[in-house]
Amino acid sequence: MRVGRYLFSNMLVLGVIVGLVISAGMNADAGATLTAKEIMENAALSRKLDGSEAVMKLIIQNGKGEKRERKIAMVTKLFDNGKTEKRVYRFLSPADVKGTGVLAFDYENKGDDMWIYLPALRKTRRIVTSERSKAFMGSEFSYADMNTPTLTDYTFRTLKEEAVDGVSCWLIEVKPKNEDVAEDEGYSKKKIWIAKEEYTIRKALYFDLEGELLKELKSKNIECLDELKKRYRSKYMEMTNKQNGRKSIFKIEKIENIPNTKDLYFTTEYLERP
Amino acid sequence: MKQRKNSFANFVTSHPWPIIVIFVAVTVAAAFQLRHIELDTEMKNQLPVDLPTRKNLTQIEKLFGGTDMIMIVLSADDILDIDVIHRLKEMSKKFEHIKEFDRVITLFTAKHISAECGELVVEQAIRRIPKSEKQKETLRHDLKENELVYGNIVSKDFKHTVLIGFLATDASDEKVVGQLEQLIKQTKGPGDALIGGMPVTRVKLSKDIRKDMSRFLPVGLVLMFIFLLLCFREARGVLMPFIMTVMAIVFALGLLAFLGWKIHTVTVLLPVILLAVANDYGIHIMARYQEERAENKELDSKQLAHATVQHLNQPILASGITTMVGLLCLLSHIIIPAEQLGILAAAGVAFAMVGSLVFIPAVLAVLPKSKSKKKKEKKIQDVATLMSRLLNFIGDVASKKSRGILIISGVLLVAFATGAAFIVVDSNPMSFYKKNDPVWRATHMLNEHFGGWANVSIVAKGDIKDPAVMKEIDKLERHLKKHPLVGTTSSIAAMVRGMNRVMNDNAASADKVPDKRDLIAQYFLLYSLSGDIEDFNKLVDFNYRNAQILAQVRDSGTRAATDVVHYTQAYIDAHPQAPFTIVGGLLDVITNMVDYIVRGQLLSLFLSILLCGVLVGAVMRSVVAGLISMIPLGIAVSILFGLMGYWGIELNLITAMLSSIMIGVGIDYTIHFLWRYREERRLAEPMDAVKITLRSAGRGILFNGFSVVVGFVVLLLSQFFPVQFFGLLVVVSIVSCLIGALVVLPAVVIVFKPKFLEPTESGNSTEELPGAA
Repeated sequence: MRVGRYLFSNMLVLGVIVGLVISAGMNADAGATLTAKEIMENAALSRKLDGSEAVMKLIIQNGKGEKRERKIAMVTKLFDNGKTEKRVYRFLSPADVKGTGVLAFDYENKGDDMWIYLPALRKTRRIVTSERSKAFMGSEFSYADMNTPTLTDYTFRTLKEEAVDGVSCWLIEVKPKNEDVAEDEGYSKKKIWIAKEEYTIRKALYFDLEGELLKELKSKNIECLDELKKRYRSKYMEMTNKQNGRKSIFKIEKIENIPNTKDLYFTTEYLERP
Repeated sequence: MKQRKNSFANFVTSHPWPIIVIFVAVTVAAAFQLRHIELDTEMKNQLPVDLPTRKNLTQIEKLFGGTDMIMIVLSADDILDIDVIHRLKEMSKKFEHIKEFDRVITLFTAKHISAECGELVVEQAIRRIPKSEKQKETLRHDLKENELVYGNIVSKDFKHTVLIGFLATDASDEKVVGQLEQLIKQTKGPGDALIGGMPVTRVKLSKDIRKDMSRFLPVGLVLMFIFLLLCFREARGVLMPFIMTVMAIVFALGLLAFLGWKIHTVTVLLPVILLAVANDYGIHIMARYQEERAENKELDSKQLAHATVQHLNQPILASGITTMVGLLCLLSHIIIPAEQLGILAAAGVAFAMVGSLVFIPAVLAVLPKSKSKKKKEKKIQDVATLMSRLLNFIGDVASKKSRGILIISGVLLVAFATGAAFIVVDSNPMSFYKKNDPVWRATHMLNEHFGGWANVSIVAKGDIKDPAVMKEIDKLERHLKKHPLVGTTSSIAAMVRGMNRVMNDNAASADKVPDKRDLIAQYFLLYSLSGDIEDFNKLVDFNYRNAQILAQVRDSGTRAATDVVHYTQAYIDAHPQAPFTIVGGLLDVITNMVDYIVRGQLLSLFLSILLCGVLVGAVMRSVVAGLISMIPLGIAVSILFGLMGYWGIELNLITAMLSSIMIGVGIDYTIHFLWRYREERRLAEPMDAVKITLRSAGRGILFNGFSVVVGFVVLLLSQFFPVQFFGLLVVVSIVSCLIGALVVLPAVVIVFKPKFLEPTESGNSTEELPGAA
């Protein structure tokens, strides 16, 4: 199945935002001045980078307040006129997984590819998985959250305008058109707050299949990476599970817009380099 | 003494109205409390917190959440038939959404992990529903190869599959079972779906007991009523003890609500015990009342009531108080409901005792004196005369063949006591069910075709990623698999072993825990990327400091669970370097608790017999009296346990608790006999005194005993074994107490002529026999 799509295609910061933005953008109601679709399209565009290099932390916290922290380096680049995104991840800490590498190709029209390198085994394995599992690396960010959904599967509506942390936003409601879509993703409804000025996501609520609030996403420290093209990234994203108290945080420590990242990075040979 | 006795009787008969008003008011107040009564049949709420096995459970749940499993077993000719599998998919989907579960395993959540030419393939065990015979057989082949699935969630003959849910620690048994029943109803289709596992067994058991008890007890009450009517042949004779019993039950249940307690499964015994015991006092009062009325025709209502109370207040007080003390021995139990049962039963007895001495005489004093029905009595050969004949017969035999009776009963006693040696202490809830009952079938299937019906859990503590620790876990898991009653086992070590094999292209030599810590850590990371790390949440804790082995037990009896726990403990004791800290789980706690109750009940039974002996000894101021008073109870205990041994009835939670009834009735019968005999002995020779005692006090004893027996025989009609046992054991208990008090006890007093029963010098001692000196 489509490995990269589910696992890495829209991983991390990119993933959550792209997923939400595109899903909301394609099939929109007529809004007052801007339609939900237009708002979402703008939002999708606002975060698109040709290439990037970043260092980030994934902090996973369970209901008892215990924490697990991983530091990851990530490089991305768009290929085939933006149709394929290739990514490389390298785990920097904790020590016992240091050097573990993942290479993912996210194709637009076919199943994705993923390879993983385990330094303790000194072997690279291509991973084929249909597991569209709930939790990404045991975090509260699910693959569904990071996935680009089939856009015709949803209906969108601009509910109202509302400020989040003093930034005025549109509040857009996203609903799956049928039960299968809902089942697949695990949500009956999403609510997304998008900043009017920059088209960046500030907040989102996820409702489970019984209609109860399941998770809350908060997005902060939004930074402009490309003044010219008006491209932004959130450097702090926090997903809280409202039903079990667990919480996961993506914290970008460093991110650079590097359109000409080396192609060499996106090979299994590079993955196995110490 | 005499003076005080009179003043008590005077008080009662001269202030009837205030007494009646007070008793009615208290009963009404208690009745108003009844609407606050709450039912709490969650077994988990009844576990004592400070029990070591319970502490273990708390530890385990803190680390890994709930380990209690509830399952749906779906059976069909072929599970892989399209229609069946469609239904399974729908069930699985709904099953996953039940919020009371914190982990779910079904054919649709299970994975298939394999290695093919340098690739690691992680996919659903069922990728797509087969549409053709060919696809079906391919799927069958894949599932056979999948060791996570084959024999664990799908039976090897593909006729059964199981959906497993791990209950969250705060989940309610009844709620989950309700949801599953709903789920099965909603997902219509081919195949037969049954709910199995410990939680449903708990729920079914307590529901079925309540259901059958509420169905049969009213019938029993009516029969009891009719029987008493035949005995006394007048409305007041029946109504007074009957109303008193009902009032006592209302009072005890009202008290339960007032104290903020709830009705637990064990509390169901409260009305049963009170029915058997509480009408005793009223019956004796009425029997004596009729006796006085027949003998002293000149007395008016008030004087009759006075005479009755005067004669009976001592024996009733003595028997009531000893019964209460006996019932309070239930306080020695470790489970809270058993303690509550003791207190409430004692309170009910107290109410009935005081009521019989105060309320009934007060009513009798107020009621007009009823006409004597002598003429009628002579004409009709009814129950009462049958009873009198029986008592006369017993009196004759007991007085003439007293030595023979003692010898025979001695021999029988030994025979019964021998039977008690065969008693099996095992609470297997399945023994309560017929083999066609859904709960029985589900459990049987889980034990036969799958890994087992419930879990024993073993916790390892340390750096779980450390190969040394991981290898110890692996070793113990392999050791557990060797136990004949252990079915499926799961552990983090098995998962790591599997990943190691798959990452090494399925090489058999790689089917082991790797030697490098980093590699184990990287496997976990790999699994979190390619699989679902939630799959591990019952096997290892968040920070990899604790791991759990789950061993499913394939037998639903407490002995099997105990055996597996001991087997594991023995291994741990023999391997002190191994990192294991806890062996236990809910199965262990319940097993432990049930055994505690059974043993605790035996202890409290013997304790209460002893205490009663001491009390009777103190009241009668004689050690011999104490010893003799223990005879009927001792006989009853031997008969009951002996028969259970011979009939193969296990000593379990319910049968053990039921023996409390014997304490109640056994003591009462004994005291009433001894008291009356001592009274009669002042006027007659031992043999005649025995006959008179049997005809008089024996009447009350027999009325009481037989009325209870008649009422409980109905329970034998129940289809549900525990309720049948209820009936059977109550009947056996009471009949054996009757035999002890009405046959053996008379023979004992005739043969041994104990001093405390013989007339004292201040009394009429002229008729004392030389042999008694």
